[in-house]
Amino acid sequence: MTVIDPILANVQKPTSQARGLPNAHYTDAAAFAEERDALFGTGWAGLAVASDVPQIGDAVPITFLDMPLLLIRGRDNVVRVFQNICRHRGMILVEAPRRIEGAIRCPYHSWCYSTQGQLVATPHVGGPGYNSHAELDRTTLGLIEVRSHVWRDVVWINLSGHAPDFEEAMADVIARWSDFEQPIHHGGADSRFSLTVDGNWKLAIENYCESYHLPWVHPGLNSYSRLEDHYNIEMDGLASGQGTLVYRQLRDEAGTTFPDFPGLDAKWDAGAEYLSVYPNVLMGVHRDHAFAIILLPEGPGRTQEHVHLYYAAQDTDDALRRRNAAQWKDVFEEDIFVVEGMQRGRRAPGFDGGRFSPAMDGPTHCFHRWAAGRLAQARTVEA
Amino acid sequence: MSRTLDSALCAAHAAGDLDALVGLYHQAATEANAEDAAGFYLTHAYIFALERGDQRADALRDHLVFLGRESGPPAPALDQPTAAAMGGVRTWS
Repeated sequence: MTVIDPILANVQKPTSQARGLPNAHYTDAAAFAEERDALFGTGWAGLAVASDVPQIGDAVPITFLDMPLLLIRGRDNVVRVFQNICRHRGMILVEAPRRIEGAIRCPYHSWCYSTQGQLVATPHVGGPGYNSHAELDRTTLGLIEVRSHVWRDVVWINLSGHAPDFEEAMADVIARWSDFEQPIHHGGADSRFSLTVDGNWKLAIENYCESYHLPWVHPGLNSYSRLEDHYNIEMDGLASGQGTLVYRQLRDEAGTTFPDFPGLDAKWDAGAEYLSVYPNVLMGVHRDHAFAIILLPEGPGRTQEHVHLYYAAQDTDDALRRRNAAQWKDVFEEDIFVVEGMQRGRRAPGFDGGRFSPAMDGPTHCFHRWAAGRLAQARTVEA
Repeated sequence: MSRTLDSALCAAHAAGDLDALVGLYHQAATEANAEDAAGFYLTHAYIFALERGDQRADALRDHLVFLGRESGPPAPALDQPTAAAMGGVRTWS
């Protein structure tokens, strides 16, 4: 690949020689805007989970990279994503999560849309009491749909509309975890939590990618899961992360565990894997539970992390499930200070993006390589 | 519109009571002395019925279509009431 920008070229060198992305990509509004198109827009990004809209008519407005979107489960039980604006004057349609009982009525002039996005009523559009007009074709004025796909409950969106189909684009990730291609059940209210981090979204990805930090930042995990029990995962242009060989099931005093996902290969008996699926979804699989974390950037220096835990069965032990969620919350909260510390560190003038450990930082550099490649590609297209 | 009906409509708007709004605007349409006024009120009844997912929406729409004030395909996925359920169709000719 030809990369003209020398800084991006440095990022794309072999891990042992490469530098990380420069400061501006963590602190600068212009770089943030560039990443919106180059890193989020062209491929598949995580927006939410389908469990956010469990019932027909459930609608959740989401601001995604400054864009007003609406996640909604239609009357046909299909989850869709629309731009959360009326086709008339661009007014925001839904201000807060709620259930749409009938139609989505714009609060401005009351144009109405079905939960599947069709424009169904345009009151007074032809004059008082006249609700249609020959020159206004409702069939062309439905809500603007954002291409979406649900996998492992995560609602993935492709803003450009031009990415390969999700199954094609994510084929290697899906294949890697093919054992887990089976029903998963959201643990419910006690299995979801959100964290706000004063750090750039990429730092959360980068930290999650690698096991290098585990003994220092998560000493509790290290008591049974040592550094040498982990391996790196690098899936160029797609995902990176780590695996462990010594996953130990959570069990209560009576020895109760969560039920396993059926039919797993023996390698999952004590194995677990954790992937950062580019750009913004952190996922983990274990024999008895899984999780997904959607990172929603709120600007260069702030990120919302929405965490969801899943199980092999609809009904699991309440206390054990709450304990599992609390345990993971502790782990993810332990990561916050490093993400926020690295964010503050990006204010140091002249920081060169940092050097990577050739042995330990492959997954993190894999992410940087992907980001630099996408940015270079976008700049080439612009030029 | 009578003062009583006007007050009831204001109260229903203030309370966000869609059920009441459908009924009150339909009543206003029924009591209107001119088709334009009826069309206006029927429109409001219809819109709030649509928003509510109310069975009365289709009959209200039928009425608007009959009066030449609505066209196009009906809103999907709403239950099908009968026009009689809304008291039939009134004309102003």
